[in-house]
Amino acid sequence: MTTLESVWLAVLGLLLAGYFVLGGYDYGVQMLHHRLGREESGRRAAISAMGPFFLGNEVWLVAFTGVLFGAFPHLEGSLLSGLYPLIVAILVGLVVGNTAVQLRGRARGERSRRVWDMLTVVGGGLPALCWGLVLGLLLHGVPRRADGTFHVGPAEVFAPFTLLCGVGAALLFAAHGAAFLALRSEGGLAERARAAALRLLGAFAVAGLLAVLLSVAGAGASVTNPVAAAAVTAVLALALAAAWRSLAAGRAGRAFAATCLAAALPVLLVGAGHYPYLLASSAGHGLTVSRSAADGATLKLLLAFGVVLIPLILLYQAWSWWMFRGRTGRRHPAYF
Amino acid sequence: MGASDLARLQFAATTGIHWLFVILTMGLIPLVAIMHTRAALTRDPGTRAVWERMTRFWGQLYLINYAVGIVTGLVMEFQFGLSWSGLSRFAGNVFGAPLALETLIAFFAESTFLGMWIFGWGRLPRALHVALIWLVGLTAYISAYWILIANGFMQNPVGYEMRGGEARLSDFWALATNPSALLALAHITLAALLTGGVFVAGISAWHFARRTADVRVFRNSLRLGLLFAAPAGWFVVTVGNLQWPLLGRTQPMKLAALEGAGTEGLQAMFTKQHGAGNYTPSHDWLRGSMDVMVNIANPLSIVLIVAFVLLWKDWLVRFRPVAYLMTALIPFPFIASVGGWVFRETGRWPWVVYGKLTVEEALSKVSSTSLAVSCAVFIALFVALAVTNWTLIARFARRGPDGAHLGAVEPLPEHLPQGAPGSGSQGREDKEAVPSF
Ligand code: HDD
Ligand code: HEM
Ligand code: HEM
Repeated sequence: MTTLESVWLAVLGLLLAGYFVLGGYDYGVQMLHHRLGREESGRRAAISAMGPFFLGNEVWLVAFTGVLFGAFPHLEGSLLSGLYPLIVAILVGLVVGNTAVQLRGRARGERSRRVWDMLTVVGGGLPALCWGLVLGLLLHGVPRRADGTFHVGPAEVFAPFTLLCGVGAALLFAAHGAAFLALRSEGGLAERARAAALRLLGAFAVAGLLAVLLSVAGAGASVTNPVAAAAVTAVLALALAAAWRSLAAGRAGRAFAATCLAAALPVLLVGAGHYPYLLASSAGHGLTVSRSAADGATLKLLLAFGVVLIPLILLYQAWSWWMFRGRTGRRHPAYF
Repeated sequence: MGASDLARLQFAATTGIHWLFVILTMGLIPLVAIMHTRAALTRDPGTRAVWERMTRFWGQLYLINYAVGIVTGLVMEFQFGLSWSGLSRFAGNVFGAPLALETLIAFFAESTFLGMWIFGWGRLPRALHVALIWLVGLTAYISAYWILIANGFMQNPVGYEMRGGEARLSDFWALATNPSALLALAHITLAALLTGGVFVAGISAWHFARRTADVRVFRNSLRLGLLFAAPAGWFVVTVGNLQWPLLGRTQPMKLAALEGAGTEGLQAMFTKQHGAGNYTPSHDWLRGSMDVMVNIANPLSIVLIVAFVLLWKDWLVRFRPVAYLMTALIPFPFIASVGGWVFRETGRWPWVVYGKLTVEEALSKVSSTSLAVSCAVFIALFVALAVTNWTLIARFARRGPDGAHLGAVEPLPEHLPQGAPGSGSQGREDKEAVPSF
């Protein structure tokens, strides 16, 4: 693997991790807004909390896919077509959820608002669950054939370990979204979000523990670098503990920082666990980074743009977070 | 239907629907940006209020449309990997770069700045707020450029060399200045401005026919709309005709099949170069789609010039039937442009990358059943989205500027308990003090 390839691998990881952190709390808020909001004004407040960032969060996934295609064309082709049913499910969820969040404010009357709310919840839960399933499959290793293609079917998706990962991701994103609401909204909504985050973190810890036990028993993740994987898992456990303690102590800012870390770590877990493979088969072999990367000339060209663009993107996104910092409440432009 | 037909249908239907939203986005955004700029630059409070109402009204219609544009685009981004992995294997080194750059250069900025624009009313300094909408517009056109570079490579592959059975990027400049992409960019830019202008003029004329009280809002809008639509309608025809010589050079088979003459020679040449097979795209599709575009373009461009002249003294909207005629024009640019795309894309058949990679070679190894399911799911979803989108647009267009939620600050002062901060008359500052953690 050349330096150029590792740079782009890092960028790819950064984009996916950024998407999990930012899109993750969106999905959490979407899943919880109906329950935690109690009535329309509370639900609207929950959606408004993520409002200014919502479009900028989802685009991390678009950028991840774009860079996947540009820098790792060989991985893109086999990964996306291999995971076909799951990717389609994720897309359906995203389409439904994104539309519902953006258009629910335009609803006329109680009935259509209820429909949009339901779609908002499904549109958060379905992608969260399916991303967990994808992570579970990648950790476990996929059934690659001799020509490098693969297919996942019901047997792989409905394996206990994969299902645990799916449920775990949904719980983690929900907890992360609750931590976000505890930080950014006001009054009763923030208080309810804090309580929900504590419960959800507990439930995620149970799912995670079961997944680890399954892996130790040999029916779960099969990684090429067990030490690295164990280290990442340990950091994840620490992040969860930190989030729990901060929430219990009422320190919403710290708790959100900790759930951000927890949402990003699964990406590192897959990456570090399988290195030098990007796509490992259950047998322990797979598609290496070099085999999946684009030609050197293409990577160099992308790098020339990337060194300018990626810091710039981080800068203006950070600027937008700063401009809209603070708790949402009175006198806030509300649109969604 | 076989796997390749299903994958083609899925791609054609999803891009086609995505395009219907994109063309309106690209057509409305310059108009909204101009309105917002006028509002910010005008000193007279009455005039400023008019332009501000216009910005919120058209801005909200733009946003409703944009929401659906984004989600359909999201699906598009995954389609290459889902159904056309042969394309990424063969041309990923070349074809992927523009798509990656599109996301990094354009989409990131577009989404971030649009989020700030939507939620920035009364919160951001005015100059910055206006600058944001211009940035959103600029990035929309940059993204159109990069996607057309990718599409241009499929129409007229340049800037690459073959090594080890794969196309590799050898000349980025040639890729980025592919005439097949640049001419198309000019043509679709004009098509989009035409579409946006007709949309704005048509809805404004409808309000006049209904004897609106918002005369100033809709007179300004009608004029601005036609100011864009009339010249764009004229030049879209000019640029459309400029494409013939280029097509003659790059895709002679497309032209031959359109005319239904001279295909045998080309068929024989392709057979000699690439082996036996059918290399002749369908004459009927090409003829039909070209006729749709041209038969809409010519009358439309003339009607729009007459309408522009009739703006004098509001003649255009004095008679209801004429005003309603303007409204009835709204769908035609959309139909024409779908015709244009069907022509451009079906005329490429059987090649995905012209002369290099066929549709069959590009297809992923996905079972027909998976494809049939996803095809049905995506098409049903997109049609539902399109219907929702147009119903909402029609509803809010009919309601007029009073129905605009964009830029409203919630909760409104009258909903606040007495004495709460912000409920008094002191909430008139241009910029809100930001509470911190
Ligand atoms: C409002 C929309 C609209 C209108 C009025 C026209 N076009 Fe068009 N046309 C498009 C919208 C469009 C388009 C959707 O934007 C296309 C599809 C691909 C592209 O680059 O632009 C297109 C493609 C397209 C192509 C295909 C290029 C290729 O295959 O590479 C040709 C030859 C023309 N046009 C020619 C014309 C002519 C001669 C027109 C008038 C007499 C005309 N167009 C009016
Ligand atoms: C948005 C406007 C577009 C429309 C309406 C459109 C329409 C179509 C149609 C009708 C087909 C089917 C062709 C056939 O059956 O022979 C097709 C195929 C395809 N188009 Fe487009 N297209 C658009 C833009 C693009 C762009 C920008 C790209 C690439 C960046 C692209 C890539 C493809 C691919 C990969 C296929 C499948 C292979 C094939 O059938 O040739 N399209 N499109
Ligand atoms: C000529 C054809 C196309 C043009 C001009 C175009 C342009 C645009 C524009 C201006 C947007 C902004 C959102 C909107 O307009 O509603 C957009 C959205 C999007 N388009 Fe397209 N597009 C085309 C076809 C495609 C194709 C073939 C793909 C697949 C790679 C694609 C991927 C996307 C994505 C992912 C988004 C969402 C971006 C976001 O989340 O902000 N588009 N497109």
